[in-house]
Amino acid sequence: MKIEQYRIIEKSKFDDFINSLITFSKVVAPVYKGFKNYIFQEIKSAEQVSLKYIPTIIPPKKYFMPQRETILQFDVNNELKVEPIVEYENLVLFGVHTCDIAGIKCLNMVLSDKPKDTAYLIRKKHITIIGLECNDYCDEYASCSFVGAHIPTTGYDLMFTDLGDYFIVHIHSSKGTDIIEKTGIFKPAKDNNIEELRNLRAQKLKIFNNEVPTERRYLPDLFDRSFNASVWKELEQKCLSCGNCTAVCPTCYCFDIKDDVDLTLKVGERYRIWFSCQLDPFAKVAGGIDFRKERSARQRHRFYRKFRYHIDRYGMVFCTGCGRCSRTCMAKINLKEVLTSLIKESEAKIWRKWL
Amino acid sequence: MSKPKVAFFDFACCEGCQLQVANIGELLIDVLDIIQVVEFREVMSEKWDGEFDVAFVEGSITDEHAVKRIKKIRERSKILVALGSCATIGGVNGMKNSFQLEEVGRYVYGEFYKFFPTIHTKAVHQVVKVDYFINGCPIYIPEFVTVLKSILQGIPYYVPEYPVCVECKLNENVCMYDRGLTCMGPVTKAGCNSWCINNGNICYGCRGLTINPNIEGFKEVLKNYKIPEDFLMKKIDMYNKCKELDKQ
Repeated sequence: MKIEQYRIIEKSKFDDFINSLITFSKVVAPVYKGFKNYIFQEIKSAEQVSLKYIPTIIPPKKYFMPQRETILQFDVNNELKVEPIVEYENLVLFGVHTCDIAGIKCLNMVLSDKPKDTAYLIRKKHITIIGLECNDYCDEYASCSFVGAHIPTTGYDLMFTDLGDYFIVHIHSSKGTDIIEKTGIFKPAKDNNIEELRNLRAQKLKIFNNEVPTERRYLPDLFDRSFNASVWKELEQKCLSCGNCTAVCPTCYCFDIKDDVDLTLKVGERYRIWFSCQLDPFAKVAGGIDFRKERSARQRHRFYRKFRYHIDRYGMVFCTGCGRCSRTCMAKINLKEVLTSLIKESEAKIWRKWL
Repeated sequence: MSKPKVAFFDFACCEGCQLQVANIGELLIDVLDIIQVVEFREVMSEKWDGEFDVAFVEGSITDEHAVKRIKKIRERSKILVALGSCATIGGVNGMKNSFQLEEVGRYVYGEFYKFFPTIHTKAVHQVVKVDYFINGCPIYIPEFVTVLKSILQGIPYYVPEYPVCVECKLNENVCMYDRGLTCMGPVTKAGCNSWCINNGNICYGCRGLTINPNIEGFKEVLKNYKIPEDFLMKKIDMYNKCKELDKQ
């Protein structure tokens, strides 16, 4: 912890900070929507911000990869004209939890892999991320400690940590420095502030305990043993295939591409829209064949996309422990419970082998 | 090239879907630039005795007279579109199929019911071939426009094969079940962009059950929310009763 990278801001000045931020940029922050639901949306004043919130319905992924995004426009009036489109705007995301930052890091990894997603990479440059550290669990669905997303590491421009009367702010990029300078409200951190941050982190190690009875490093083995586990068959009965789990997942990036023309039928656009492996048409191909017809196979696929396939390809777990999929599932398919059942079933198999 | 000749017809229905088309607003000018409406009882008195390029049919088929009439319309139309829930899935008229025809007749017409012969309610595709389906009670205008454009381009329109929840989640609505309400979104065909929920209402399931609904799973869900199973089955029957005729 280099002290020169830290600033502090008293809580009484917090509203001034947000209001000053709004004067020079579009600001997006968590806002309460009632019934224990929060969403990221543009704010016009500091009062709207919910500092204590459980993960929003949709993660801030929607600003990096919008639900519906125009990718090109075409005109066939005289000769074919095609124009690629990149939709972007300058944006400050305030109050992003470390789980959602982990999600954006996953997307960065995939979408900068070949073939690069140019629109995504351009959009990302225009977004500033101000994180907000969680001092405690948001609720019982989170498993951020299991995937190591409960402590800030990288992937943000500024990180706010609540230390009672004040926030300590970690500056992690030049974009972050710009905000500190432009708002002019922050004071340099002193040794005792750093000490308090250290104490908080030590305290967090006691609060955040591994939520799943295994370790991250054993995941590849666990999933290699579990492809035919009975757990998946149980999900066949439960899952409604509503696609909620994938829509709210910070690391799901599957999309469909569609064309739309105007009423002259000559001018139109091609757009992409979020799509989900949980839905019936997702794996349907010509001839009416469906590669993943059973709901169990689709759920299994989702889990392998989070805990197995991307470990081989990117060396990363694609679950951020935010708990959204479990929170939103009407059928009460709970990520932690599924993992725990897999572990139990797999342990039984190992014992049988030894006997 | 002359504009395609388009007609609107109605059978057993409330004519609300045609009203949606009549209420299309600013889009009307652009729409009328590309089609010629030759018959549309709700908005004009002219009739057409030739062939139709596209016929939009609202309403379900509920008596022998309607069967004959829809067959004639089919013969005269190059493309036939079922418009709205009554036409696509039988709609609320399908509830009639839960009763004996005589019982229904007596309830409505009393002792003279025999002068009003009736048959089981049918969706249009259960009587004649339908080329395009526009679901909804009433129809959702953006979907109507998309289908119209697909027809004119000569390409198929696929009604989404997933539930309303998908669109609802993308619109980031607070789930109706979180609000303590029962919503049909999880088992209802999408395509309406979760129109009702965006405006604070629950989904009534007017577009009909999705192609592969997990009804047993949904019953379990309702149990978790302490909603009686019977309540759900009634909600499903409200729009889906005619589906049974598809299975026969």
